[in-house]
Amino acid sequence: MTRTNLNRFGTLIAFVLLCIGFSIAAPAAFASPANVFNLVQQMATLAIVATAATLVMTISEFDLSVGFSASLAAVICFVLFGQGYDVWLAVPAALLVGIVGGAANGVLVARFGIPSFVATLALGTILSGFAFGLSGGQSLFQSVPDGFKSLARGDVFGIPVLGFWIVAVLGIAAFVLTQTEFGRRLRAIGGNAQAARLAGLPIVRDVIVTFAIAGGLSALAGLLLASRLGSVQHTMGEPLLLPAYAAVFIGTTASPTGAPTVAGTLLGVAITGVMVNGMTIVGVEPFVQKIMTGVIILVAVLLRRVGRAK
Amino acid sequence: MHKSIAALGLASILALGVSQGALAAGEKVSVITPFLAAIATGEMIDAFKAKAAEYQWTVDVVDTAGDMAAFASRVEDATTSGANAIVLVSVDPAQIQDQVDKAKAAGVPVITIDGAKNASTVLNVTSDNYVLGETMTKFLFDQIGNKGNIVRFFYSAHPGVHQRELALDAALKANPEIKQVADHYVAVPGQVDDSRAAMDAMLLANPGDGAINAVWAAWDEPGIGANLAIEAAGRKGIVIAGIDGNPQAIELIKACGAYVGTVRQGFGEMANIAAGELNTILAGGSAKADELYAPVELITRESLGVTCP
Repeated sequence: MTRTNLNRFGTLIAFVLLCIGFSIAAPAAFASPANVFNLVQQMATLAIVATAATLVMTISEFDLSVGFSASLAAVICFVLFGQGYDVWLAVPAALLVGIVGGAANGVLVARFGIPSFVATLALGTILSGFAFGLSGGQSLFQSVPDGFKSLARGDVFGIPVLGFWIVAVLGIAAFVLTQTEFGRRLRAIGGNAQAARLAGLPIVRDVIVTFAIAGGLSALAGLLLASRLGSVQHTMGEPLLLPAYAAVFIGTTASPTGAPTVAGTLLGVAITGVMVNGMTIVGVEPFVQKIMTGVIILVAVLLRRVGRAK
Repeated sequence: MHKSIAALGLASILALGVSQGALAAGEKVSVITPFLAAIATGEMIDAFKAKAAEYQWTVDVVDTAGDMAAFASRVEDATTSGANAIVLVSVDPAQIQDQVDKAKAAGVPVITIDGAKNASTVLNVTSDNYVLGETMTKFLFDQIGNKGNIVRFFYSAHPGVHQRELALDAALKANPEIKQVADHYVAVPGQVDDSRAAMDAMLLANPGDGAINAVWAAWDEPGIGANLAIEAAGRKGIVIAGIDGNPQAIELIKACGAYVGTVRQGFGEMANIAAGELNTILAGGSAKADELYAPVELITRESLGVTCP
């Protein structure tokens, strides 16, 4: 294998080796169809939030509100269920809140020039306040229609429903980023915003649209997570934030240019998902799991940087 | 990039190495919680592990640090990995009903400690949280002569804690001369620091003697945080009571400061009961009931034999 191929496929090979390692350690459990089914389900919401992060990182910005948006959307949906509203109203309403919240992030960043770290953290905190207020701080799990539960549970021809969501969402995002003019504009903005502005690209509009899509995807992830669990807590989406960006960073190690890509992000999600799942199955102590996961993320990104510097 | 392959490969090797201990002989029991950082949860798990060692079980403990999605995933992993039983600690299984249903369908018995009854679990061992709240609230109200101003530290996301809050609500209705002047939803984890910060603000917002007479803490850690704030502010005439029988809270009660009482839940006893029942279940028997209660005990200066100056 040439050095170029090794650079390009190294992270993928590492993922395969990881799977082989866990398969040897726990052949009956890790490599079983039931566990593969579980893994796909466990990775889905993270994959969608990480895709939102990927889109925003493509324009060289950060969205720290993704987890908060996910929580708020799920809470709104369950509150509406509690008031007797149907799935067909509650789900679009929750998604709309995510999109509007994301667009507001975009306006703060593109129109008012507020750094995305600050703008999205502030708005995300506001969203979390609404989620807290609406839920009353309690777990909500009553009055959930069966139609909603089927959004993220069960299987079609043996493939988990959440697997179809991964394919649909990530497939569309990858297509948009690589095959459309909008995607090319985003990459141009991320590559050099000043040059993109001088070239006459509609930066403000594109940034707002990107954040709106990220908000919508985060809301979708929150709804799917709520469907999978059958319950909602006002903080449920917050733990998605750091693993989502970790997945994007790991994914950049699989990109020839070091830029975020949807495929790379999926690989990052898969690596983090398999690490946690595999270590749980083989019985690694929880503190060791945390240390190893952190070390692997750090090592992967550091080696990429060292490699690029050379 | 080949180095990153090596790094990830190393992870696998380490995983294999570290797992050797967990693959020892005996029944495999997965203990899973989102709240290991809470002292009470840790106490229950330690007691369960000690009892499990007597039964020669292999126990894997997983903490998801408040992450309910990860909690659901780890329950799935435990089911898939062929655990002989799953023990959920400090959580209502209804929050992950699908995963608990799947464990039941796979023939893996699920029991909860400090959780809630559920059709798909075989046993919940807990304290009667309403009684805990009632006992502590009555004690606290008696301490201030059944009149004055209180502040509440609560966390309704936990079903047991919510029951205690309902007991306070009922007591407030029955005692109209007691007013709740402020409340705070405690952040978990980080509950002590969060509660201290909230109490700092409450003290500033309610200055003067008698503005706050008592702190009602849904469990001891927020009470400990409130105690720190009261000490730092030098405020007198405020009493605190909590629930759990946290060792630090008991030391504070002995120290004759603002902390005057706690209700011990008997966490160790809960874990012992759960382990004993699980031993019966693993041997092919059934639990005595689908919910069992551990005894509760009010701990005060008087019960501790402490005389304050």
